[in-house]
Amino acid sequence: MNPFTAILDGLGSTLVLLFNALREIRTLPRQFGRFAEQCYLIGYTTLPIVAVLSFFIGGVLALQSGYSMSNFGTKEFIGSLVGLSMTRELGPVMVAILLAGRVGSAISAELASMKVYQEVDALVTMNIPPERILVLPRLAAVLVMMPIITLIGIIVGWFGGALVCEYVGFISLAPEKYFETLRRYTDFRDMWSGLLKAEIFGFVIVLVSCSIGLRTRGGPREIGASVTKAVVTSLILILVLDYFVTKALI
Amino acid sequence: MNTAQHSARVGLLFLLGLALIWVTHEALDSKSSLSKTGYPLVAGFQNLKSLKQGDDIRMAGVRIGSVETTQLAGHRVEAILRIDKKVTIPSDARATITSSGLLGTNYVSISLGTPSRAPLAPGGEIVTYESADLGTVMTQLSELGEKLEDTLGSIGSVFQGRGGEPSLFDRLNHLLSENSSKIDTVMSNLEDITNKVNQGQGTLGKLVNDPKVYDELLATLTQIKAAASQASGFVGDAQELVAHVKSGQGTLGTLLYDQKTSDDLKAITANFAQVSEKLAKGEGTLGKLIQDDSLYTDAQATLQKADRALGSMSDSGPISAVGAVANALF
Repeated sequence: MNPFTAILDGLGSTLVLLFNALREIRTLPRQFGRFAEQCYLIGYTTLPIVAVLSFFIGGVLALQSGYSMSNFGTKEFIGSLVGLSMTRELGPVMVAILLAGRVGSAISAELASMKVYQEVDALVTMNIPPERILVLPRLAAVLVMMPIITLIGIIVGWFGGALVCEYVGFISLAPEKYFETLRRYTDFRDMWSGLLKAEIFGFVIVLVSCSIGLRTRGGPREIGASVTKAVVTSLILILVLDYFVTKALI
Repeated sequence: MNTAQHSARVGLLFLLGLALIWVTHEALDSKSSLSKTGYPLVAGFQNLKSLKQGDDIRMAGVRIGSVETTQLAGHRVEAILRIDKKVTIPSDARATITSSGLLGTNYVSISLGTPSRAPLAPGGEIVTYESADLGTVMTQLSELGEKLEDTLGSIGSVFQGRGGEPSLFDRLNHLLSENSSKIDTVMSNLEDITNKVNQGQGTLGKLVNDPKVYDELLATLTQIKAAASQASGFVGDAQELVAHVKSGQGTLGTLLYDQKTSDDLKAITANFAQVSEKLAKGEGTLGKLIQDDSLYTDAQATLQKADRALGSMSDSGPISAVGAVANALF
C-alpha cells in the first residue's frame, strides 16, 4: 500500500469509526461509569502535567517578550501578549500535544493490545460493537474534559507570566499592570476561540488514536508501531488543523 | 482506587471547570462588569479614531471609568462613557480622545472643569473637542517639510545663481577682487592701529595697557555711579516733592491744587487790576501821587522850606536849647 493510499485508508476508516460511534450515542447514559473513568484518565490525571507545563510556558513567554519589549519601553504590554498568546494559541496547542503524548499513546496502546489479543474480536462475537464501549466513552470524555484542562492551563500560564514579570529584575512589572493590559486586550471571545480549538484537537487526537489502535494488525510488535503512529499522526494533525482552525476563527 | 472515587474527582474537576469559565467570563468580558456600576455619559465626536469598547476614561490621568459602547449617530459618532458613580464631572469639563503613546491605545481624557459648576447628570452629554492625532501631526510635518524644501531651494538658488545671474559667491569674489587694494589698505591701517594699541600708544593703547588709566577710568566710573545714585536720590526726592505738591499739601500744593486759594488769587488779581487801573487813571491818593506833578512840586517846595528852617535852627540851636530848658524850669 503506497503512502497516499494508506492516508486515504486511514481517513476513510477513521470516518467510518466516527460514524459508528455516533450511531451508538444513545447508549452513552448507560455507560456513565466508563465515561467517568475516561474523564478521570483524560482530564484529572493529565491536569498536573498540564498545569506545570502551562506555568512555565507562560513564564518563558513573559521572559522572552519582556527581554525584547523592555528595550523599547513597551513592557506594560507583556500582559496582553502573554494573555492573548496563551488563550488563543499556546494553551490549546500545548495541552493538545500533551494529550497526544500522554492520552493518545495510552488509548492506541490499549486498543492495539485488545485488537492484537483478539479481545475486540471477542466483543464483536458477542455482538457488542467496539465503537460503543471503546470509542464513544473516550470521545465524550475528551469533549467534556478538554475545555476544562485547557482553561486551567491557560489561567495557570497567565499567572506564570505574572510571576515572572514581577520577580525578574529587568522586567519588574507589577501584577496589577500585567493583568490590566491582559484584561484590556483579551476578550472572552478569545477564550471561546481557544477552547473551541482545544475541543477540536482533543476530539481528533482521541479519534485518531482509537482508529489506529483498532486497525492494528499482527503481533505485539505492532502495538508499539501503532502507538508511534498514533502520536505522530496526532501531532501532525494538531499543527495542520491549528492553521486552518485559527484562520477560520479569526 | 475505586470507580466512585474517580467519579467524584471527575465531578469536582467539572465543577471547577464551570466555575473557572464563569470567573474568566466575568473578568474578561468588560461589558458585563461595566453595566453594573457607574452612570452613563454621552460624548459626541467627529472621529473616534481607534477608540473601542472597554477603553479607559481618565480624568486628569486618573482612571474613572471605561467606554461602554461606540455608535454612529447621524453625522457624528457617539461614545457612551460609563463613569464611576463616586466621581462627579462638572458641566464645563471637556472630553477628548488621547493616545497613551505612539504604540499605546486611545483613551478618553476628561479635564477637571470647575468644581463649583453643577455636575453632569447621568445620561447627560459632555462637551468634547477634537485633538490632533498622529496622522494630523504627520500631515503638518509633511507640509512643514515642503516649506523647508522650498526655503532651502531658494537659498540654494541664491548661492548657485539662477537664470544666468551671477551667484552670491561670484558677486562676493567680484567685490573682493575689485576692492583688493582698498581692503589691503584697510587691513594695513588696522594692523598699525593694533600695533599702536599693543605698544600702549594713544588713548586706546594706554587704556588697554596702562593699569593706571584703567584705575582712573574705574574711579571715574565709580564717581559717575555715585553721582547717578545721588541723582537718583534727587529724582526720588523730586518725585516725593511732586507727589507732596500734587496731594495739595504745603504752600505750593495749596497754591496749585486748592480751589479756594485759586479763587482768592483770582480775586486778588482782579483787585490788583482795579487798583492799577485807578492808579493809571490818577484816581485816589496814590494815583494822584503818581499822576499829578503838582504834588511833587509842592512836596519839593515844602522840603526846601524845611531845609531852610532847619538851617536857621542849627544856627540858633544852643540859644534855643537854653531857652527851652529855662522855660521848662521856670
